[in-house]
Amino acid sequence: MSDPRAPDRDASLSTLGTRPPFYRDATVVRWIAQVGTLILVLAALWFLATEAGDSLRARGANIDFDFISDHIGIKVGWGIDTNPDSGGRALWVGMVNTIRMAAAGIALASVVGVLVGLARLSSNWPLRRLAGVYVEALRNIPLLVQILVYAAVLASLPNVSFDMGPIPGWVHLSNKGLSIPRVFVADGFYQWAVVMLIGGVIARVVFKRLAARREQTGMQTNAGAWATGIVAVFAIVGWWVHPIFGWLGGVFGGLSDAVGSIPQGVVQLVAALAAAGVAVWWIRRFLAQHRTPAGLVRLTDDDWFRMIFAVAGAAIVVLFVAVLWPGLSSWIVNSSSDGLGVLADKFGNGRTGAPIDAMRPDIVQPGNFPNYGPAGLNLPIGFAAVYFGVVFYTAAFIAEIVRGGILAVPKGQSEAAQAVGLRRSTALRRVILPQALRVILPPVGNQYLNLTKNTSLAIAVGYSDLVQIGQTVYNQTGKTLQVMAVWMLFYLACSLTISAAVNFFNIRLRIVER
Amino acid sequence: MTDPMPPAAPTALAAEPVGPAASPPDRPSLPPGRWIRENLFPNARNSILTVFAILVALFTYRGLLNFMFSEERSWIAVRTNLRLMFTQAYPEHQYIRVWVTVGLVVVLAGLSAGIWARWGGVTLKRLMGWLMSGGGLVAVGVLIREPSVLTDAAGETVRDDVGELVRESFAAAMADRWVWWAAALVLFGLGLALWLRFDDLARRTSEIPVAWLVFGLPGLLVASTWVIRYGHYAFADGEFIAEPGQLVAMSTRVPWTVIWLLLVGCFGIGRVARSRAIASSQAVPDAADDDEGAEDEAAPELPRGALAKTRAIVNLAWVLSPFFLYWVVMRDPEIDYAHVFSTMLPMGLAFGVVGSAVLWWLTRSDAGEVGRLAAIGLLLLAAFHWVAAFFGWYSMLQVARIAFLLLAVAGLLAPNFAGVAAQRRRLVGAWLFVVLLVFYGATVINAPSTIETPTDMFIGGFSVTLLVSVLTIMLSFPIGVLLALARTSRQPIFRVLSTVYIEVIRGVPLITLLLFFSGVLPLFLPDGMEIAELAAAILGYTLFSAAYLAENVRGGLQSIRRGQYEAADAVGLTTTQRTGFIVLPQSLRVSIPPLVGQVIATFKETSLLAIIGLFDFLRMANSVVPNQSQFLGVRREGLLFISVVYWVVAFAMSKYSQRLEQRVGLGQR
Repeated sequence: MSDPRAPDRDASLSTLGTRPPFYRDATVVRWIAQVGTLILVLAALWFLATEAGDSLRARGANIDFDFISDHIGIKVGWGIDTNPDSGGRALWVGMVNTIRMAAAGIALASVVGVLVGLARLSSNWPLRRLAGVYVEALRNIPLLVQILVYAAVLASLPNVSFDMGPIPGWVHLSNKGLSIPRVFVADGFYQWAVVMLIGGVIARVVFKRLAARREQTGMQTNAGAWATGIVAVFAIVGWWVHPIFGWLGGVFGGLSDAVGSIPQGVVQLVAALAAAGVAVWWIRRFLAQHRTPAGLVRLTDDDWFRMIFAVAGAAIVVLFVAVLWPGLSSWIVNSSSDGLGVLADKFGNGRTGAPIDAMRPDIVQPGNFPNYGPAGLNLPIGFAAVYFGVVFYTAAFIAEIVRGGILAVPKGQSEAAQAVGLRRSTALRRVILPQALRVILPPVGNQYLNLTKNTSLAIAVGYSDLVQIGQTVYNQTGKTLQVMAVWMLFYLACSLTISAAVNFFNIRLRIVER
Repeated sequence: MTDPMPPAAPTALAAEPVGPAASPPDRPSLPPGRWIRENLFPNARNSILTVFAILVALFTYRGLLNFMFSEERSWIAVRTNLRLMFTQAYPEHQYIRVWVTVGLVVVLAGLSAGIWARWGGVTLKRLMGWLMSGGGLVAVGVLIREPSVLTDAAGETVRDDVGELVRESFAAAMADRWVWWAAALVLFGLGLALWLRFDDLARRTSEIPVAWLVFGLPGLLVASTWVIRYGHYAFADGEFIAEPGQLVAMSTRVPWTVIWLLLVGCFGIGRVARSRAIASSQAVPDAADDDEGAEDEAAPELPRGALAKTRAIVNLAWVLSPFFLYWVVMRDPEIDYAHVFSTMLPMGLAFGVVGSAVLWWLTRSDAGEVGRLAAIGLLLLAAFHWVAAFFGWYSMLQVARIAFLLLAVAGLLAPNFAGVAAQRRRLVGAWLFVVLLVFYGATVINAPSTIETPTDMFIGGFSVTLLVSVLTIMLSFPIGVLLALARTSRQPIFRVLSTVYIEVIRGVPLITLLLFFSGVLPLFLPDGMEIAELAAAILGYTLFSAAYLAENVRGGLQSIRRGQYEAADAVGLTTTQRTGFIVLPQSLRVSIPPLVGQVIATFKETSLLAIIGLFDFLRMANSVVPNQSQFLGVRREGLLFISVVYWVVAFAMSKYSQRLEQRVGLGQR
C-alpha cells in the first residue's frame, strides 16, 4: 500500500512549509485507495453477476421466484405439511422445522450446559471429573460425526413390530424414531385461551395491588400465590364454560368479510405503510436512547448496522407484501381464506369440546412396512440425531462459558454471601449466578446462534429442515440461486432475532448493575 | 457445619474455583483413606452425588466396552480399510510417496520440537498416578464387561430356546480375560514399583522430561510391530490375510520404524542446533535485540542471532511444505520442459534481473518523489495488463501479470527499505525469492499429475481432511488479518465493506456456503474456466474461516493501547511500519488462543466435505466402507474409529493452545 505519511527523508529545506503534492496528501491518497477498492469490488461483483446471467440464459433458466407459488410435486418427510402444494409452502415447512429444532435445542442445551458447567466447579471430585470428561470428549469431535453416530445407533434399534393399532405404553422407540403421545390443541382451545387471557389480566391487577400494599405496610400479602390462584381458577372454570365465547366467531367472520371487501391494493398499501412506520418508530426510539443532554452519542458501527438492518427489514416486508401477497397467506396457513377467516373458523359456535386433548401413539401400515400412525407425536431418527447432536455439542461449549463466568465473579462475593448467613444454594442463585450472567450472556448468545446454524447439518441425516428441503426444491426446479437467497435471508433473520434477544436481556442486566 | 477439617466444608455445586489454580502443586498428599473421606463422602448430599457420578461413569464405560467387544462388531472392516481411510486408493506402487510426505513432515516436526521446545517435565508422582489408574481402569473394565457370547465349533453364536444369546459364566469370562488381567497387573505393578522405589516426597516430585514420554511411547508401539503382527489386512480370494503385497512401502513396520528414527534423529539435531546457536549468541552478545523482553520471565535465553535465523528457516519450511508436498511429491507433476526452457525460465530470469535492478534503483537514498511516481506508474501498468486481458485486447501470460503486480507492490514498499545497503539487499533478496516461488509454483501447479488413481479424486480420506484444513488456515490467515485491519480502520469504505462481508458470512451456516461453492460457483465463472471440486471447497472454507479469523484478530487489535500508536507516530514510523512492526505483532500475540481455537474449528468443520460429496475421512467411514460388499452396513465401528482420530488431533491442539497461553503469559499481567 502506498504510504501517504512516510517521513520525507530527502526533503530539502526548500519544500518545508509548502503543501505536499496531491499524490502525497494523506486525505487524497486515502480516498483514492478507498474508492479504488470500492470500484474493484463492484467491478468484480458486476463481472460475476453478468457471467451468472449469461450462463443461466444459456441454460434457458430465468431468475424469477415463480417456484414459490407454482405447484411442484415434492414430499416432505416430517413437518406441518408433508405434501406442500407449492415451493413457497415447502420452504415454509422447512423454516418451521428449523425453528422448532433450534428452539427445542436452545432450551435443552441451556439446561444441560448450565448443569455441566456447575458440575465442573463442584467440590465433589467424581462429579467434577465426569463433567470434565464430558466437555473434553464432546467438544473435540466434529458435530457432524456425532450426529451420524447418533443416527447410526438409532438406526440399529429393532424395527417396528407388526401389531397394528394403539401402542400399549406411552413411549415407543424403534429404528423409525420415537413416538410419544400427541398433546394437541382441540376444539375449544381458542375460546379457552380468551378466558385465560381475562384471568391473566385480573391476576395482574390483583398482583400489583397486593405488591403495592406490601411495599406500604411491610405485611406479607402473598401476591404471587393470589395471582397464580386466580389464573388457575379461571383455567379450571374456563375448561367447561368456554363455549360462552362462541359469539367471537361471528365477530371475526364479520371482520374478515369487511377486510375482504376492501380492494387488495389498499390492504397491501396499509401493510407496507405499517412496516415502514414500525421501522421509523424503531429508529426514532433507538436514536432517542442514544441522545444525552450533551447531544447524540457517537454511534458505533454496530449501531449504524442495526439501523440499516431495520430499514432493510422493513424494505423486505414491503417487497414481500407488494409482490408476493397472493401467495403469502397460503404458504403459512395453507388455506385460501386469510388470517381473520381462520380465526372466525377457530371460534365457531359449534366448538364445545375440551380445549386440549391427547392421543396415544399407534402403528399403522400404509404401504409395505408398518410405521407410526398419525395419533402419536412422531420424532424420526433424523430429528433425534440432529437434536441430541446439537444439544450435547453446544452444551459442552455453554458449560465452559458458564464455568468461566462463575469464576469471573470475585471471590469476595461468595464469602460475603456466606458471612450474611445465606445458604450455599441461595448464594448461588441470588448472588453468584446473577453476576455471572452478565459475563455469560453474550458468548452464550453466540452459542445459540451457532446451534441454530448447526441445525443445517440435518441434511446429512435426512431431517427436513430448510436446507434439506431447499436442496430438494432447487434440484427439481433448478432455481438454485433463488433458494440460496431464501436461505441467506432466513439465517440472517435468525441471527438478528437471537442477537436482538440477547441484547435486550443484556441491557436489562446492565440496568440492574447501576 | 461442625466439620473441623481445615479446608472449608465442601458442598456440592459450590461456586468456588476448584481448578488446578486452587491447589498448590506441592501440597502434601493425604493418605488414601482420609482423601476418600474428605473428597468423596464428607456429607450425605455429597455422598449421593458421588455415588451418582460413579454410577454414570461406570455405565458409560461398560456400554462402551460392551459395544467394542461385542461379537457383532466387525472391527476387521476398519482394519482392512485403514489405508483407504487415510489415503483412499493411492496406487500401491507409488505408495512410497506417501511415506516420503509423512517423513518430511516428521523431519520438520522433530526439528521444530528440538529448536523450540521448552517442554516441562512430568513429576514421578503424576507418572505413578497415571500408571496405577491406568491399571485400575483396565481391571474395572475387565470386571464390568458382560461375559462373552458362547460360540459353537463352526464359530456361530449359540442361542437358547427363546432366541437369546447364551453367555458364558462370570468365572469363565474372568478366566478368559487373563491377558487383560495381566496388562492391568503390569501397569499397576509398574506404578507401585515406582512408588516403592521413590519413597520420599522430594524424589517423587522430581521431574522426568516430557520428551522421553512423547518419543518413548510411540517408540514402544513401533518396536512392538516387530514382535506382534498387527498386520494390515486385506480381503483376497474370500478371506482376510495379513500383510499382503511384497513392497516395503505396503508393509507397516519398516516405514514406521524409519519414521520414528527420523523423528528422534531430527529432534536431536534440533537440540544441537539450538544449543550451538545459544552458545554462539552468548559469545557475541547482541545488544540490539532487546525488544523480545516479553519472553524473558519465562525463558532464560532469548532467541537472537543464529537461533532466530534457524527458527525463521524452519518456519519458512513449514509454510512451504504443504505446497511442495502436495504438488510435487504426491502429484508427481509431468513438467513440460520445452515450455519451461522456452518461456518460464527466460521470463523468470528477466523478471528477477530487471526487477532487482528496478528495486535497487527505487531504494536509492535520493529516489524521493521520482521513485514514488515510478512505483505508482508500475502499479498502473500492472493493472492495465489485467484490464487488457479481461477485455481481450491482448493477453499476457497470467504468471507474468502476477509477477508485474508483485513488482509494483514491492516498488510501493521500497521507501521503507531505502537508504541502508543491508536493507536494500534484503528487499532485493526477498524479491528474487518471490520470483522463484511464483514461477516455480506456476510451472508445478499447471503441470498435469502422473499419478493414476482408480477414481477421479486424487487423494482422499484423512489426507484430504488434512490438506483442506492446512490450506484453508494458511490461505484464510492473511485475508482474515486484512479484514480485521479494514474493520478497525478509520476509513469508512474499508470499514463498511469488511463489516458487511464479515457479518454476512458469520450469519449463514457453513453448509450453505459450501453448497454454493460446490454447486453454483461454475455458473459465475467465464466460459471455458473450470474449478476443481476440491479447489471450490477450499475456496468456500477459506472465505468462511477468514471472517471468523478476522473477528479473533480484531479482538487482539482492540487490546492495543492508544499509547502504542502514539509512540509509533512519535518516532516517525509510517502507517505500514506502525501496523507491521508495532500493532500486529502485539495483537496477534494476544489473539493466539482464539486463533488456535479457530484452527481446531476448521479442522472439525472439514467433516462437512462429506455432505458435498468429497471423499474425506468421514465419508470413508460413513459411506464408503458400509457399501463394500464384505462389510455391508458396518458403520458404527468406522464412525467410532474416526471419532477417536478426530478427538486425538483436536484435543492435542487444544492442550497445546493452553500451554501456549501460559507461555505467552496471557492473563498474568
